[in-house]
Amino acid sequence: MRIVIAEDDPLLREGLALLLRAEDLDVVATAGTPGEFLVAVDEHAPDVAIVDVRMPPTHTDEGIVAAVEARRRRPGLAVLVLSAYVEQAFATDLFSVGAVGLGYLLKERVGRVEEFLAALHRVADGGSVIDPEVVAQLLARNRRTDTALSELSPREREVLGLMAEGLGNSAIAERLFVTDGAVHKHIRSIFAKLQLPPDDRADRRVTAVLRYLDGDRR
Amino acid sequence: MAYVRGRVRASVDALEHLVGGLGTATLALGALLWAAIVAVTCLVGVGLLAAPGALRAVRWVSDRERTRLSRWGEPIPTPGPVPAGLRTATRDPFVRRELGWVALYSLVGLVTGLVGIALPLYAVQDGTFPLWYRLVPPDAAPGIVWWRIDGLSDALWVGVLGVGCLAAAIWFSPVLARLQAWPGRLLLPPPPGVDLSLRVAELTATRAAALDAHAVELRRIERSLHDGTQNRLVAVNVLLGAARRAVRRNPDRADEILGQAQDAAEQALGELRTVVRGILPPVLDDRGLAGALAGLAGSCVVPCRLEVDVTVRCAASVEATAYFVVAEALTNVVRHSGASQVDVAVRRERGRLLVCIEDDGQGDADETRGSGLTGIRRRVEAYDGRMTLTSPPGGPTRMDVELPCGS
Repeated sequence: MRIVIAEDDPLLREGLALLLRAEDLDVVATAGTPGEFLVAVDEHAPDVAIVDVRMPPTHTDEGIVAAVEARRRRPGLAVLVLSAYVEQAFATDLFSVGAVGLGYLLKERVGRVEEFLAALHRVADGGSVIDPEVVAQLLARNRRTDTALSELSPREREVLGLMAEGLGNSAIAERLFVTDGAVHKHIRSIFAKLQLPPDDRADRRVTAVLRYLDGDRR
Repeated sequence: MAYVRGRVRASVDALEHLVGGLGTATLALGALLWAAIVAVTCLVGVGLLAAPGALRAVRWVSDRERTRLSRWGEPIPTPGPVPAGLRTATRDPFVRRELGWVALYSLVGLVTGLVGIALPLYAVQDGTFPLWYRLVPPDAAPGIVWWRIDGLSDALWVGVLGVGCLAAAIWFSPVLARLQAWPGRLLLPPPPGVDLSLRVAELTATRAAALDAHAVELRRIERSLHDGTQNRLVAVNVLLGAARRAVRRNPDRADEILGQAQDAAEQALGELRTVVRGILPPVLDDRGLAGALAGLAGSCVVPCRLEVDVTVRCAASVEATAYFVVAEALTNVVRHSGASQVDVAVRRERGRLLVCIEDDGQGDADETRGSGLTGIRRRVEAYDGRMTLTSPPGGPTRMDVELPCGS
């Protein structure tokens, strides 16, 4: 797996590279600005890019813009966006065009190395990853106003959250200590209650659920 | 000694006011003459055409005086243009008060201005008279001396008179300046009642500016927390994660990574300290600006001479900014200048806090090279202040910062 890192803070950039190299992953380039990042993408043909949201010059959403541009230049490039704080607007922006090979995580998750590596591999394999914090905020925001959402059972809400994080059926089953069949049943019930078209592919489910939670259908 | 220095500085300031006041008084006299001529010609009808022009001239002179007085005391808002139509204009309370002011001020302003300027001139002329009395005929003594001067002892008496004039100038200039400002302070502010709409407009503007500065300040704090401290802590976290993974496979490597993690943690603490100090240094509350700066100067590695002349406290945010400026500047001096001496001077003058930092280092400080200078400038400008930096190659480096006191 060939990896490019775009992060403006030198210490953090080197820390990430060190961590990944220690895991025998191939970090082919690191970049401190969106411009350098795009050059590196053109030059090194990476499989995955790890991108910080806030980068120079204005330190707002340059990372997201650069990630979108990198995916346009190199279709199929997996992107894992790291952010210092949860900004669900960024997440929904990012995932609005599809969730294949796309991830959005809080920076502090990197410290849990196993989970971070799992997320990185999932994104590289075309899956999607959304930070539990983002999902939790979206759910909390909607629960008060959305009657359909309040009709879900607690277990169904749990499953919905894990779906939104990008987990596939078997991963959800593993996390909740239930059978695949049980998860499948929960998911059908959720889709029925929320009136969403049923879909088994995890990445398309992420988009649908996010769009639902973001209130697009209203 | 400090008392005398204060008096001298006050009288120099007062002299400056008196000269400025003499200027507006001359203008006022001109406006008064014009208004008088127009008023007389109004009796035969011709003046009616010129009346609006005369009123506008009076307004113009009044506005000059308002601006002048606002510069060194409570601000006087300007009422805008003279109302259209002669009938409305003559009923306008502002116009009436201004006409009164022109009459009063062309006398008071001129007399006080002339006396105020004459005193120091006599002081110089008479004071130095014993040195040059031989060069003039005995009955051509200078200044207010009208008697014959025979010999040195008489000349010395004139010298004593000069010293008296000097003392009078020092003691009375501030009084004269206040007296000169009195007609304007009395008649030029909006009359009670009319006042409010202007005050509201003015307060809205200053309040918006204050809120803007507040937002800028919050953004600055958020930035420094986010880009500095938070990123450092994330790096600590990443390195700790890497170290935990390495413990099993390669303990030596783990130790090395832990060392890096500790460095990052120390940097985070350092940056957090800077941010907190930048928000509102606790020492400011305890010891005031002078005490807080003395602490900074004392702990500076490069010998630092400090002179603080601030008797009235400024707004807390302004003091914090001044403190931040000095702290950052001294850090720069220590890090980059190679100086052996640095001077910090802080004084309050006409509602502005002036901070000057000068070192004898190698100069050539460059704002674009990512030093703390950009931070200083941004922070100063957020308060409507000004910062100028002169740093030729070879030195010395001098930074001047000017901040409105806000109180």
